[in-house]
Amino acid sequence: MSVLTPGEAARWATRAGLSLPDDRHALVAATADQVHSVVSVLRELDFGNTAPFREGDTDATA
Amino acid sequence: MRPHELTLAAASRAVASRELSPVELLDSALARLEEVEPRLNAYVAVTADRARAAARRAEREIAAGELRGPLHGMPMGLKDMIDVAGLPTSGSSRVRAGHRADADSAVAARLADAGAVLVGKTHTHEFAYGLITPQTANAHDAGRIAGGSSGGSAVAVAAGTAAFALGTDTGGSIRVPAALNGVVGLKPTYDLVPRDGVVALSWSLDHVGPLARTVEDVALVLPALTGGNPATVDGELTGLRVGVPCNYYFDHVDPEVETVVRQAIERVESLGAVLVEVELPMTRYVQAIQWGLMIPEATASHERTLRTTPELYAADVRVLLEAGELLPAGDYLRARRARTLLRREWLRVLEEVDVLAAPAVPMTAVPVGQETVTWLDGVTESVSDAYVRLSAPANITGVPALTVPVGADRAGLPIGLQLLGRPLAESLLLRVGHACEQRVTVTGA
Repeated sequence: MSVLTPGEAARWATRAGLSLPDDRHALVAATADQVHSVVSVLRELDFGNTAPFREGDTDATA
Repeated sequence: MRPHELTLAAASRAVASRELSPVELLDSALARLEEVEPRLNAYVAVTADRARAAARRAEREIAAGELRGPLHGMPMGLKDMIDVAGLPTSGSSRVRAGHRADADSAVAARLADAGAVLVGKTHTHEFAYGLITPQTANAHDAGRIAGGSSGGSAVAVAAGTAAFALGTDTGGSIRVPAALNGVVGLKPTYDLVPRDGVVALSWSLDHVGPLARTVEDVALVLPALTGGNPATVDGELTGLRVGVPCNYYFDHVDPEVETVVRQAIERVESLGAVLVEVELPMTRYVQAIQWGLMIPEATASHERTLRTTPELYAADVRVLLEAGELLPAGDYLRARRARTLLRREWLRVLEEVDVLAAPAVPMTAVPVGQETVTWLDGVTESVSDAYVRLSAPANITGVPALTVPVGADRAGLPIGLQLLGRPLAESLLLRVGHACEQRVTVTGA
């Protein structure tokens, strides 16, 4: 797994429209890496034609 | 017994028979609040004058023979994520300074119609984004965490300053503090209780539900929120198939918690239920789905204020919101597709059994300041991750989940049993929960 550098975190945030102060780059990069390490497990799954879950399909509103 | 010590059901019966007036009940709750609130800090704001006016109105209506129902004149707390017209909805955050809600949330309006009396707005972990609720102390031991994010609601109910309360639950935020404070908490089926006028954390996972001291009490509150019929909580269990997980729910669980929960499950069996061992599928992906949905949605929900006043967020919440900006859309979509798969697989398991029975949380309330837990096999986990771990599946699948107190550890800290059922099976969960709950009396550390 590639590790996000503080500079990359700042650049990605800027592309998302969020300007991060210099003193937050390292902390945000480390947190984003932790999130990535947890969420990337989903790449193991073969989704086939599975559609994203739609809230309107839930039981209470069906 | 002072009026605030009565369960909601008992207080309701006393008010209906005019043995107790709503004003006496509120005065008792407010006197209790004076005693315990300096230690517990369950409330962001107490609306005593407004509550007294509502209690007097309820008293007049009931005296005139206009009893609205079982919640008429009952003192309640609302988590400060829930709009009440004219009051701030702070989310226990400096970000919301100066806020005033223009209108009632759907649930606040329904409870007002039912005649409930608002004691105040209860503390939440900031914007419901956390499992601690650091402002509030545990009702059983002020040196331990209240749990969260609906910590104020759970502590207010446990301490007797509200007969019931509402919380929100995105990854366990009703059930975790309910379990840690020895009260009953229900996360209803997804979308059963309307979220209009409730501050969002994660639209895919957010639920609104009740906390109260007994299962019977929760059963009285739920119909007022849904407009549905009251559940019968007679505890009849003969022939019921109770699924006991052989994986996930008993992994990395404190031995005392496991013992007490298994004893509760044995009691259910002794009352006529049939225990069925079940293996739960796709548990490897629970945390990934939870984070993949919640983190980008929370960031989207806070997009504007994260750019205008980021310094006003607490440090733990701010960094999660910022990191959420860096999660690719592909990861979010994978989480939504994986949710479809996991839900489908879990609903198949719930065709084989009527309910699942498991611990609510892997450990009792930890001391304030403890950040990690190390299990017997040497695995270390953050306290927040541990508390979410057994709750998140019901948020992802949307199935109803109830936690009931079933005992305590050697330190006297409450232990909760969690019951999960098929969508819209709240009545069944309440029936089973009623059969095995072990009520904890009003407490205030």
